[in-house]
Amino acid sequence: MSARMPPQRNVVTQSLAQIGACGLFLLTLLAAIPRSFRYVRETIRQLWFVGAMSLTIIMVCGLFVGMVLMLQLYHVLSIFGGTSASGMVVALSVYRELGPVVTALLFAGRAGTSITAEIGLMRATDQISAMEMMAVDPIAYVATPRFLAGLVAMPLLCCVFCAMAIFGGHLVGVTWLGIDNGTFWSNMTAVVDVHTDIVNGVLFKSLAFGAVVSLIAVFQGFTTPPTSEGVAYATTRTVVASSIAILALDFVLTAFLM
Amino acid sequence: MSQPRSSYAVGTGLFIVLGFAALAYLATQTSSVANVHQGDSYTVEAEFTNIGQLKERAPVKIAGVRVGQVQSITLAPGQDVADVKLSIDRRYDHIPQDSVATIFTSGLLGDQYVGIDYGTAKQVVAAGGTLARTKSSEPLEEMLGKFFGAGGVVDNVGGSYAVKADFTNVGTLSVGAPVKMAGVVIGRVQSVRADPVKLNAQVVLAIDKRYDAIPDDSAAAVFTSGLIGSQYVAIQPGGSPDALKNGDEMVLTQSAMQLEDLIGKFLVNGSPSDKKDAGDGKK
Repeated sequence: MSARMPPQRNVVTQSLAQIGACGLFLLTLLAAIPRSFRYVRETIRQLWFVGAMSLTIIMVCGLFVGMVLMLQLYHVLSIFGGTSASGMVVALSVYRELGPVVTALLFAGRAGTSITAEIGLMRATDQISAMEMMAVDPIAYVATPRFLAGLVAMPLLCCVFCAMAIFGGHLVGVTWLGIDNGTFWSNMTAVVDVHTDIVNGVLFKSLAFGAVVSLIAVFQGFTTPPTSEGVAYATTRTVVASSIAILALDFVLTAFLM
Repeated sequence: MSQPRSSYAVGTGLFIVLGFAALAYLATQTSSVANVHQGDSYTVEAEFTNIGQLKERAPVKIAGVRVGQVQSITLAPGQDVADVKLSIDRRYDHIPQDSVATIFTSGLLGDQYVGIDYGTAKQVVAAGGTLARTKSSEPLEEMLGKFFGAGGVVDNVGGSYAVKADFTNVGTLSVGAPVKMAGVVIGRVQSVRADPVKLNAQVVLAIDKRYDAIPDDSAAAVFTSGLIGSQYVAIQPGGSPDALKNGDEMVLTQSAMQLEDLIGKFLVNGSPSDKKDAGDGKK
């Protein structure tokens, strides 16, 4: 994996080479899962780092997304006299789209960048080579635990995000704008479906986004040129590539799942 | 990163617990688990002539309370009634055999559901049995048509005469739709029915007696108000000296333009139904 990519002239072939290398890297990662069982403690430490440490930003952002969504919907729906439906619309839009997508974007910014930077610096300071010398498989010890941690952390973070968004919507809608509390909840429960909205929307999408974001972050870290400039560039590319991948994948998943 | 081991283990554990707590909250508090969870249930069949917008998994209600859901909607080949299977909770197994299953709409624009009104018979419907008495979904247009049509009749009691007109296609023209001349309402559509022999639509127009000088070679056309508005019959006056009388038939008609046809014509320069429409009005 530490092999440098051959220089490419064309942007298209370069991107194709990146995607191809990323796919091969995914196979290497998956093949290393059995070997990384020895490093369960490392996986838990990564879960703490990418998951638990991201909770604050996820909770605050979820709260504000729910609040602003409710505020906007209330003003639009009051034109048609349908403000009682705003709780339901907040729930549906958060579960199906905003929750997984915004969580994944935040996750890419908060956890993805630090994974890339950490692995990139490990390479720049020859820690990866040192591991290989000590017969420690860097894929099983460094890459796979981070990938698995991202995979587990994303759905959990997304659930927290959605719960906070509902709480924020309730705060603005019921407490501030005066929508009836019972109507708020009963409209929501009447429409939200466990299978299509929560399993397909929240859990499945966020699992897919978690896989994509952590794959990109680990891959960028492992393939960066081991210089300080290379690490900076790889970190930027993690955010750019993750954001594009999340939004494109979101469209594809929505088209197939809904 | 230099946290002691126990600290991050506890933090991770808390994070996982919080994540699952949030998931449980979403699943139980903001969605109706009842929509998915179905206890012991039994199946009852009901046949409807028109199910409207009824969908599978739509609720089945008794006295407004959800007791089950629509399991499947099928149309038996060679029949014109929809076979709807209702899956009803085992606890409600005392539905009299002469109960009426009706398709209702929640609110004006809401989803449709099946409501069961209890009958008085001693026998109850068994599992796999059939509710013989059903009332189909009534399209909103029909109800509005009846409502406004009735109003129209009161408006000109005894003051209208009937004129027949045949169309190859009336689109969504419904009973009670306005009949307009020069854009002004002069009557109502009294009935729309298919002619079993000529295989076209026979429309009876009730026109106000005050407008008794309409030339008998006038043309009737089915128009749509706006792009997605309701349809009405427009009368374009001809030049004949004789006027239409009660029971007369209008010979020149123009059928409803179907948006699909129009787009088809526009795109492929002539749709298959072109030739059929060309013979319209000549019979």
